[in-house]
Amino acid sequence: MKKKKRKVSKFFTSGYLVLILLFIYLPIGYLVLFSFNDGKSMTNFSGFSLRWYENLFTKEYAMLESIWITLLVAVIATVVSTVVGTVAAIGLSKARRIVRTVVLEVNNLPVMNPDIVTAIGLMLLFISIKVQPSLVTLILSHISFCIPYVILTVMPKLRQLDDNVAEAALDLGATPMKALTKVIIPQIYPAILSGALIAFSMSLDDFVVSYFNAGVGINTISMYVYSMKRYNLSVNAMSSLIVATVTLVLVLVNLIPWIKDKKAQKEET
Amino acid sequence: MTKKLIAALLIACLALLPVLPAEIRAEGTLNVMNYGEYIDEQVIRNFEKEFGVKINYALNDTPEAMYTKLQTGVSYDVVVTSDYMIDRLIKEKAVQPLDKGIVTNLDQLSDQVKNLYYDPDNTYSAPYLWQNVVLCYDTTKIDPAKVEELGWGILLDPALDGEVFIFDSPRDIFMMALKNLGYSMNTESRDELQAAFDWLVKMNQTIHPDFVGDEMIDGMAQGEKWLAMMYSGDAVYASMENEKLAVWAPLEGTNIAVDAMFIPSNAANAELANQFINYVLDYDNSMMITVETCYCSPNAKVCEDVTAEGGEFEGIEWYIPRAGYEKDEMYTDNDLLRTETPELLFKVKLQ
Repeated sequence: MKKKKRKVSKFFTSGYLVLILLFIYLPIGYLVLFSFNDGKSMTNFSGFSLRWYENLFTKEYAMLESIWITLLVAVIATVVSTVVGTVAAIGLSKARRIVRTVVLEVNNLPVMNPDIVTAIGLMLLFISIKVQPSLVTLILSHISFCIPYVILTVMPKLRQLDDNVAEAALDLGATPMKALTKVIIPQIYPAILSGALIAFSMSLDDFVVSYFNAGVGINTISMYVYSMKRYNLSVNAMSSLIVATVTLVLVLVNLIPWIKDKKAQKEET
Repeated sequence: MTKKLIAALLIACLALLPVLPAEIRAEGTLNVMNYGEYIDEQVIRNFEKEFGVKINYALNDTPEAMYTKLQTGVSYDVVVTSDYMIDRLIKEKAVQPLDKGIVTNLDQLSDQVKNLYYDPDNTYSAPYLWQNVVLCYDTTKIDPAKVEELGWGILLDPALDGEVFIFDSPRDIFMMALKNLGYSMNTESRDELQAAFDWLVKMNQTIHPDFVGDEMIDGMAQGEKWLAMMYSGDAVYASMENEKLAVWAPLEGTNIAVDAMFIPSNAANAELANQFINYVLDYDNSMMITVETCYCSPNAKVCEDVTAEGGEFEGIEWYIPRAGYEKDEMYTDNDLLRTETPELLFKVKLQ
């Protein structure tokens, strides 16, 4: 990772990389900055204050609730779709060629489809089987659009696997289940993780599917912000908190292995 | 182990499906639908506490989106939406009468918002908040006398080129054209609609306005433009932020827009819905809602008190919308305008 970074920065001795980073981070920085605005304006900074954070936690119950719903849905959808998607991918990799090709093509359809088609399709499905929209229909619909992404990320990694390793495990007396959990899954673990991350971010991002399939009074963040009659800066405060959390998680994810490595090195010496 | 877990998870998901409706519609819950950020949420919390119930608070951004949500078959108990949409829903028999034994606060309403055309005896609906469509302008850039003289016609003044916000709503935009030409905003004549279209094309070519949404409120408060066509509640909000702003409802006439509450005919909890409507009309609660939103309360005493000395909106012009002026109208559910104006507005913007 570090080596790569050094190489990249050698390539971009010009300000090119800086420009791109600015392009990506300026909007986020702008949003965070205005979450501290003392005034009500989105464009005119009139002084530092934490009033929008206070407002968020003391008055905007519905907005806070929407954060929890968004996270709850995203976590459940990620876990379920990762499990289902991984199992499906492993199964497919062992299936006959024709089956695999057909299923993978079918799997691509929802990915290519505009969200609105998925959304209305799911809504009509739920109506036709007389299921009232609710938190569960919301989660089910998120699971359904997350699964294809997991399959898509896990599949290529499976192709790289050496079949002989799993067979060797079986030869050496592992049960099929053991071979799966001790041999196959550890090898494709990085792909599963990135599949899960993609599923998580797809679920967090989603507006259209949620809008058509959530039950009464169940609002995700995007639904909430979209239907606001008048914008207020507590949205910025909320978004800033999410940005802070995501940054913290990313830092931890990168730091913990590094710290572990250091410890291991120390123990060796 | 993993296999069993997956199977168990899947079965659990499937098993949940049939029991859902019962589960989410437990007794003592009320499904309320409103625009987002259009209430003081404390009112909801207080109602929940006082009546020992749980409110599921659903959101939408336009009457049309609300209409779509009603069609999905989900039962809502109280819905807040615009006058012309209630007109349509009453005609479609999708609304049930209020229980006047419960909704006793109807007698606290201002006369201007009582017994309106779509519901002559308030049989089906109770007003929630109301407003005009107005011009909001910067008095340091435009002479008030000019705005008051020209009315909507000021939008054809080349001096305003590039300095105007217009709220991007087809019906409201055609309203000002029709009114400036002296027609009804509910016209059923294609010729009049064509004339309004030509008026708007001319306007677009003369002043090149920005057609925007709610960002104009902040824009006006910051003095980004000289003039905006907007709702009076938003204009009040902007002019409380920026004292250079003034508000004017043109003399050619404007729209009186009332957002009102009604109970859909398939409501599961009509009695509690009536309680909720009555609760919202109450002095204290209507006061909290109007202070939070800046739109005008339908409660006569609230209106009087907030504009009186020391009130929240003391000295704010047009907090109370204009009512009783003969040239003002309310929108009716009008097929021609509903279907034609969005497309025509699109064409206006292309010119």
